[in-house]
Amino acid sequence: MKTPREILLERHRAAGPKLDAMRDGIILKLNHRGTEAQREKISLLSLLFGGFNKMWCELVLPSRRVWSGLAAVWVLILVVNFAERDPAPAGKATAAPVMMNLAEQQQLLNELFADRTPATDADREKTFSPKPRTEKFHTSAV
Amino acid sequence: MKMPVASVPETLPVPQARAGEAGAWDALFRRFQLPLYAYVFELVRDEQASLDIVQETFIAATKYLGGLRDDGKFGSWLFGIAHQKVVQHWRKRKEVLFDEVPEPEDGLEEGPDTLLIRREQELEFMDLVAQLPPPQRAVVLLYFLEEFTLEEIARVTETNTGTVKSRLHYAKKTLRKLLEAKNENPA
Repeated sequence: MKTPREILLERHRAAGPKLDAMRDGIILKLNHRGTEAQREKISLLSLLFGGFNKMWCELVLPSRRVWSGLAAVWVLILVVNFAERDPAPAGKATAAPVMMNLAEQQQLLNELFADRTPATDADREKTFSPKPRTEKFHTSAV
Repeated sequence: MKMPVASVPETLPVPQARAGEAGAWDALFRRFQLPLYAYVFELVRDEQASLDIVQETFIAATKYLGGLRDDGKFGSWLFGIAHQKVVQHWRKRKEVLFDEVPEPEDGLEEGPDTLLIRREQELEFMDLVAQLPPPQRAVVLLYFLEEFTLEEIARVTETNTGTVKSRLHYAKKTLRKLLEAKNENPA
């Protein structure tokens, strides 16, 4: 005595080899797809790191003495720059007379401008007083 | 006739397959290839078309496994994909669709029995299964091949549980009647 399942499967067992071949084909494609994806990941990483490595090898390593010289110069420039910035507190003491000088000059300038301002105001009144055109005409005729 | 024995739920390597392990896919395909082919062939009745449908089902499974929430339902999910492809095949060939077959209106029994068939009746049984209308045939095949629950069969065939129950009952009743008739008149 058999169950319907057994009968059904028995009846189609002949298709087994074809199904096996089909399954193998799909698994092969899956494997291929998997390795492709892995290869893509690896190639992306190698592109990033390889690119950096290539740049290092081709650009920096052959002229490493020049690069190190340039680096040393930059370091020297930076050191000098910082060394010049350091005496800032001493500068505060020397700045006092300069500031006094500047204040004096400013005062002088103010005085000069103070003398001029009334004169300029008077001039402006003269130059900007409008006259009717007819009156102007009569005066010139007379 | 015997009552069905509660089958032990099998552990399938679905999480591994989801992770892309080819070995896991191989194991899953090995497990389902023959029942799936039997199901499709019994509905389509064309060897090449059945092989194509099984292949398309497997390829679709590899693509869409991410959408399966319950790994325990992998079997019914796979049969569901195959079922959809069978329906598409019928539509192309303009054959009778599931919805076009009238549903039998019959009293239902609880707990469907398991049929046991004698060796000399095997061919007859298959002929009888082939004579069933496609909706009943699909339900019976799913029940016999994978012992799916009514809910699972409903999901595969995209119907409700009540319809599945009715179809299964009617199909089994018909099969039993025909087998008994053959036993009484073995000529």
